[in-house]
Amino acid sequence: MSPSKKGGTTTSDPVRIMGSLDRGKVDVDKLIAQSKNEIVLDFATCTFISVEGLEWLEELVIRAASSKLEVRFENIPPTIYKVFKVAHIDGILKACGAPSSRLGPVC
Amino acid sequence: MVVSVTKQDLSLDDRVEDLIRQARLAAAVFTQYSQEQVDRIVKAMTIAAIQNAVMLAQAAHEETRMGCAEDKVLKNYVASEFFYNQIRDKKTVGIIQEFTEDNMVEISEPIGVILALAPVTNPTSTVLFKSIACAKTRNSVIFSPHLMAANASNLAAKIVYEAALAAGAPTGFISWVEKSSRLRKETEQMMVHPEVDLIFATGGTQMVKAAYSSGKPALGVGSGNTPVYVHKTARVASTAMDIIISKTFDNGTECPSEQTLIIDREVAPDLLAEFKRLGCHVCSLEEVEKVASVAIDERTGGMNYRMVGQPAKKIANEAGLDVPASTKMLLCPLEGDIRKHKLAVEKLMPVLGFVLVDSVDQGINRALDINYAGGTGHTAGVFSEDDDVVEKFAEAINAGRVIVNSPTSIGGLGGVYNNLNTTLSFGCGTGGGNITSDNVGIKNLMNYKRVPRRKHFTFAFQTVKNIYVNPGTLDHLKSIDTKSAFVITSPSAGKRGHLSMTLERLPADCKVEVFSDVGPEPDFSIVEEVVAAMNRCRPDTIIALGGGSVLDAAKVIRLFYDYPGLNLKELAVNFLDFRHRIIEFPKHMKTKLVAIPTTSGTGSEVTPFAVIKDREEHRKLSLVDETLLPNVAIIDANLTRSLPVDVTRDTAFDALTHAVEALVSTFASDYTDGLALESMRLIFEALPACIIDPDDVVLRHKLHNAACLAGMAIGNASVGVNHALAHSLGARFDIPHGRANSAVLLSTIEYNARIPNKFVAISNYPVWIADRKYARAAQFLGLVPEEDGKPLSPEAVAAAVKALRLAIFELGTETGQPLSISECGVSMADFEKELPGLVMVAANDMAIKTNPRYTLKDEFVELFVSSYPRRSLK
Repeated sequence: MSPSKKGGTTTSDPVRIMGSLDRGKVDVDKLIAQSKNEIVLDFATCTFISVEGLEWLEELVIRAASSKLEVRFENIPPTIYKVFKVAHIDGILKACGAPSSRLGPVC
Repeated sequence: MVVSVTKQDLSLDDRVEDLIRQARLAAAVFTQYSQEQVDRIVKAMTIAAIQNAVMLAQAAHEETRMGCAEDKVLKNYVASEFFYNQIRDKKTVGIIQEFTEDNMVEISEPIGVILALAPVTNPTSTVLFKSIACAKTRNSVIFSPHLMAANASNLAAKIVYEAALAAGAPTGFISWVEKSSRLRKETEQMMVHPEVDLIFATGGTQMVKAAYSSGKPALGVGSGNTPVYVHKTARVASTAMDIIISKTFDNGTECPSEQTLIIDREVAPDLLAEFKRLGCHVCSLEEVEKVASVAIDERTGGMNYRMVGQPAKKIANEAGLDVPASTKMLLCPLEGDIRKHKLAVEKLMPVLGFVLVDSVDQGINRALDINYAGGTGHTAGVFSEDDDVVEKFAEAINAGRVIVNSPTSIGGLGGVYNNLNTTLSFGCGTGGGNITSDNVGIKNLMNYKRVPRRKHFTFAFQTVKNIYVNPGTLDHLKSIDTKSAFVITSPSAGKRGHLSMTLERLPADCKVEVFSDVGPEPDFSIVEEVVAAMNRCRPDTIIALGGGSVLDAAKVIRLFYDYPGLNLKELAVNFLDFRHRIIEFPKHMKTKLVAIPTTSGTGSEVTPFAVIKDREEHRKLSLVDETLLPNVAIIDANLTRSLPVDVTRDTAFDALTHAVEALVSTFASDYTDGLALESMRLIFEALPACIIDPDDVVLRHKLHNAACLAGMAIGNASVGVNHALAHSLGARFDIPHGRANSAVLLSTIEYNARIPNKFVAISNYPVWIADRKYARAAQFLGLVPEEDGKPLSPEAVAAAVKALRLAIFELGTETGQPLSISECGVSMADFEKELPGLVMVAANDMAIKTNPRYTLKDEFVELFVSSYPRRSLK
C-alpha cells in the first residue's frame, strides 16, 4: 500500500478487503493520514460485512472527506453491493459511484 | 452498539433516527445470512424465551395488572416453543419453494425494517413471537410497546436479542423504544419515517388505525367480537369446559375469545346447568344490567378498559353482585333484540353473553348479528357434531378463523388445539380493515420473488389416422367396417356421379342412408336436420363426400350426433392459446367419419377445423379441436377430374395460401414445414398444366395431394393474416374463399417479410424468421440458388422473397387467377365504403393469432389498400 505517482497525482494502490469486514482496518486509518488524493478499496475478495464494518466504512468516508480525500470502492460483489444498497448510507453509495442528486445519491 | 434509546437528553428526532439507523444497518447485514445461520439464531432465541417464560409472564402481570400470570406463561410458550416447532423446518432464505411443473421458483426477499407494536394484553408473548418471526425472515424489528406494559415488553425483547447476538445475529436487529412520556410520539414519528418498511401493528384500535393511515405497508389486526354457536348436537360437558377454559384464559384478554354464545334452546338447560356446576354464575336479568354498567363504558358503548383482564369476582363485586370468590365467569342472558344490547360487543374479560335459538338458521343469523357488531373478519366458533351445520355456519360467518368444537381463544392461537398457524396476531381481512385474514406469521414477513422460466412448449402433430391416396382409392369403401352408413353430400355429387360411385362401393350388407342437400356455407339448421335423420337410423359411420363445406358440416354433424347436449356457440368461443382455452370438447368420438374430398383446396379431410354459419347473427362460427379430425380420408383424384377450371384455380390457390401461411406461422414446426414446402412445389408443378389439361388425372392427383399436405400443415400450424383478410373480404363481397386468398396473398407476403412494427408475444416463437422462411420456400422451389447450408445475407433473403412473390404473380397470371381485390369484381367505390368494416372483421379473426407479425389496425388498412389495384410486379 505504498503511495505511487501516476499521471502527476499521488494515488495509492487499492486496499483489498479480504474475507469478512467486521471491524475497522488500522492500516486503512493510517492510509488516510498518508494519502494525498484518493483511497481505493477493492472488495473483490470481501465475503461479508457486519454492522460494525458498515459503520467503519461510513466513518472512513466521512474522515476522508474532511481530509479532502476521495474514497472509491471497486470490484464489489453483488452480495456486498446489496448490503450497501439496503443500508442506504449516502457516503458509501457515493464511494460506489452512485451519481449525486439534490436529495443524495441515486441508488 | 447501543440497541435502545437510553439517552433521555437526546432530542426526540435524534432518538428516532438512532433506532432506525441501527435497524437499517442490521437489515442490510442480515441480507447476507444463510438459512443455517438464521436457524441457529432462531433456535437460540427460542431457548432463551422458554427459559424466561415464567419470569416474563410474572413481569407482564405485575406491570399491567391484567389477566393471570399462569396463562401468560402458556402464551409465552405458544409464542416460542409452539411457534418454533411450526417454523423450524420452513425455508426463509434463498429458494423457498419450487414449482417444478410450472418451471418456477420462489425466492425470499427480506422486508427490511419493521416497526412492531406490542399490546398491553399480551406484552411479552407478542414480543417473543414477533422477534422470532423477524429473525427467521432476516428482518430488523423495532418494538414500540404499550406504555402500560413497556418494561415487560422491552425485557422480553432484550432477552431474545441477547441470545440472538450470541448466536451471531447482526448488531441492532432488535431494538425498542424505552418507556417514557414520549413513547407514543416516537412511535408516531417512526410510523412515517422513510426508512421503516413495514408496520406490524398488534394493539389498540387507535394504534392500528394510525399504522394503516401512515401510508406505509402495514399488517394490522382488527378488533374481535366472537360469536359461538352451540348446536343441539354439541357434547354438553366438553362444550361447557372448553368455553370456560377459553373465556377465562388470561381473564379473557385474548381477542379471539368467546363474546356471545348462541345456544340451541333444546340443549340450553343442560349446558347452563353444566356451567353452574363448574363454577360459573348465570346472571338474572337484573344482574345483567348491573354487569353491563361495569363492563361497558357508557360514553363509548365499548368495553370498559378498567375491567379488561380482571377476574370474574372483581367484576361481580364492582357490579354489586354477591358471588363466590371462585366464580370463573359471569354468564349474561341477552334479552330482546341483541343487535341493540349493550353487552353484545367485545368484552375482554370473563363476562359472556348468551341467547337461545330454535333452529340452525336462527342460530346462524344471531351469530351474524354478533359477528357484524364489530367483529367481522376476526374469529367465530361452533360446537356441533353435525358437519353440515359446521359447514353452513362457516360459510355464513365472516371470520378469518372459525374454530370447531374447541376453545376459540387458545384455538385461535393455533398449534394447541388445532393445526392453525401459531400466532399472536390475528388478521381480520377486509372485514376488519386488514390486508390479510391469516394467522399472521413468517409468510407475511417476506417478499416473494417469483422466478418463472420460459414455458417449455411441446409441439404436437396430429392428423387423420388412415389416409388412402391415389386415383381409385375410393375402392377402400368396399372393405370398410360398417353395418350402417350415413352419406352426407351436396346436390352436385349426384350430378357429377360421385354419389353413385360411393354407394356402389359400400359393402352389400351395409344399410345406407343419404342426405344430399348440403349447400355452400351450411348453417346449424342443416346440422339439426341431419342429426334428426341419423337418430332415426342410428348409423355407425358417416361418409362425407364433397368440398370443404360438406366435410366441415359432417364434422359438426358427427359431434352433435354423438354429443347432443353440446352448445355450438360455446364451442366456437374464441381463444388466444388453444392450450388454455376455456371450452372443452368431448375426448372421444363414437361414430366413425370417412372424409372424401371432391375438390383440391381446403384440406378439410385432414384438419381439426370446421366452419358453420350462424344465420341469426350473420357470422361464421369456427370450431377447432382434434376431435373434429375424421378417422379416414380418401384422396382419390378421380373425383376431381370434372372440377371446373375456375374452381380448380381457386381451390389450388387456397391450398397454396395454406402452405405459405403454415410455413411462416408462429406454430410452424419442422413437421409442418416439410408438408407446406412440398405442397407448394406440387401446385407450382401441376396447376398451370392442369388448367390446360383438366382431365389429366396425374396432374389432378398432384393438386389433390398438395391440398391434403397443406391441410395437414394448417391443421397443426394454422394460418395467418392472409386468411383474416380473405374471410372478411369473402363474407362482404361474396368472393370464393380461394380467390379472396389469392387477391391479398402478394401483399401479405411482402408485409410479413418486413421487420414487424410489433412482434408477436408468444413463448414458442422466440425469433422472428418469416422472411427467412419465405426465402427457404424460394430456394426449395428452385427460384434462387441454395447456399450450401450457409445462412443467407439480408440482401439475399430480400431477393428470395421478391423471387417468391414474382413466382406466385406469374402462376396467377399464367392460370388466370385474380391476384387483387379489383380483379374480383369489387368497385373502388364499394371497396372504399366497406373498408372500415373489412378491417374490423379481419382484426377480430382468429387466424391472425398465429401470424408471424402482430398486425396493427393501420396495417390492416394498408394490406387491404395495397391489395386493391391490379398487380404489376415486373
